[in-house]
Amino acid sequence: MELIELFSYDFMQRSLLAAALVGGLCSVIGVFVVLRGLAFVGAGTAHAAFAGVTLGYLMGWPPLLLAILFGLATVWITGWVEERGNMKLDVSIGILYTTTMALAILFIGLMKTYNAEVYGYLFGNVLSVTTEELRMIGGLSILVLGTIMLFSKELYFIAFDQEMAEASGVPARRIFFLLLTLVALTVVVSLKTVGAILVFAMVLIPASTAYQLTHSLSTLTWYSIIIGVICSSGGVLLSAVWDIPSGPAIVLLSTLIFFLSVLLSPKRLRQALPAN
Amino acid sequence: MSEPHEPIIRFDHASFGFPGVLALQDISLSINAGEFVGVIGPNGSGKTTLCKAVLGLMAPVQGHLHIFDCACDELRCHHRAKIGYLPQKGVVDRNFPVTVLETVMMGRYGALGLFKRASGRDREIAREALAHVGMEAHRSTALGHLSGGQQQRVFIARALAQQPKVLLLDEPTTGLDITTQHNVIELVEHLHEELGLTVLLITHDINMIRSRVDRLVLLKTRLFAAGPPEDVLKPEILREVYGKDLVITEKDLVIVEDYHHHH
Repeated sequence: MELIELFSYDFMQRSLLAAALVGGLCSVIGVFVVLRGLAFVGAGTAHAAFAGVTLGYLMGWPPLLLAILFGLATVWITGWVEERGNMKLDVSIGILYTTTMALAILFIGLMKTYNAEVYGYLFGNVLSVTTEELRMIGGLSILVLGTIMLFSKELYFIAFDQEMAEASGVPARRIFFLLLTLVALTVVVSLKTVGAILVFAMVLIPASTAYQLTHSLSTLTWYSIIIGVICSSGGVLLSAVWDIPSGPAIVLLSTLIFFLSVLLSPKRLRQALPAN
Repeated sequence: MSEPHEPIIRFDHASFGFPGVLALQDISLSINAGEFVGVIGPNGSGKTTLCKAVLGLMAPVQGHLHIFDCACDELRCHHRAKIGYLPQKGVVDRNFPVTVLETVMMGRYGALGLFKRASGRDREIAREALAHVGMEAHRSTALGHLSGGQQQRVFIARALAQQPKVLLLDEPTTGLDITTQHNVIELVEHLHEELGLTVLLITHDINMIRSRVDRLVLLKTRLFAAGPPEDVLKPEILREVYGKDLVITEKDLVIVEDYHHHH
């Protein structure tokens, strides 16, 4: 298919818009996830949200609503466990991650019939995004991005040093739970586009790529958004042109750019020099 | 503004920790506005607990603690912003993407409160704080590229950007070379004099601060002594607290062998 011709299709316009929105959203929240060291939490949340989707289809309840509930329950339990400090974070997440995945497999097994839509949430298919879903993605994106803008200074501070933030008068614990909530919402918004298995790549990779390239928090955020939007829309175009699944196209394109950034990182080149 | 010699931090028979496992027991102590107080004691003596208590992060299990005429468990965020805090030096990830000015600006965030964006005035305050510690020229440098001593200066500037009344420093010289240790302490002394800040400096290095502080507070779970350095640094008092770790040289220099700090 010719590239120009592609843009004339409604489905293509919808997919590109959805991919750009999700790419931008994931890469902003990714900045805080990477800096605060919450990568594994996000991956666990994606699988919990998928369990919510499967329960929704099994019971005939709204799948996205259940995805949000499962996602929120997971991040809040995780945050609570970390705060109490009586269990290592990776252990609690590991348990929740596998438990929710077991629930998802159980719910799918109980369905008796094959349901293609469920697998759409697992593997993602941005090319089949409907106008209604696009509206939902748009609405939740505005909500999450608006909240991040409102609390950006506090979010940056807790990502850098949560204890110090608390000591200097920032309500750090509440901001931490807000961040976890935003992570859960972002994951759910992105489920349909890249799927539960790959969604977290969209959160991690653009921010990690930007991390290689700058020493400033604000520049990091802008680089991350640009990289996220380019990779997700570029991935959609590649998937349409080459007729390959969209989720892997987005993630593999991001990974390629990540490795290039590692190779060309000014930080790593500088590290070869002695410290001053 | 608090008047000089007016107590701004007041421990009244306060104990901290858990019943049965108290980290600090029955502390009665007043810190006056404008004082430079050094807090000393062996490892595990409750120095860091004292620090958390003053920050309002830990309420007493018995007794009372008043900070700025406010009971400690009621300490609100805007009160916390009045205490500039330099935590024990952690390792800053060399690659963490934050510039010096961005780091110091964080000191404004608690004072500003939620929903307010930093203004030009806040950036001005942050630059002034950097000027006070002599790091203004480095404001666009990556924090991770600075030396340990320079990073400490930046973190002190972050505390100053809160426009605090009290400067609370937890082991500010640990992990620095001797010359840099002296530079950091001199900077603190200078800030105390120039800005009239109440300084609470927690350290294991008695020699470094004995000639500079107004008062020393000697802790080992309980408050063993508090007063002018010459009254506190008496061999009989120190021997009771430090035991065999204490060495007194010919020049009457007190050296406390603190093995945990010399790996």
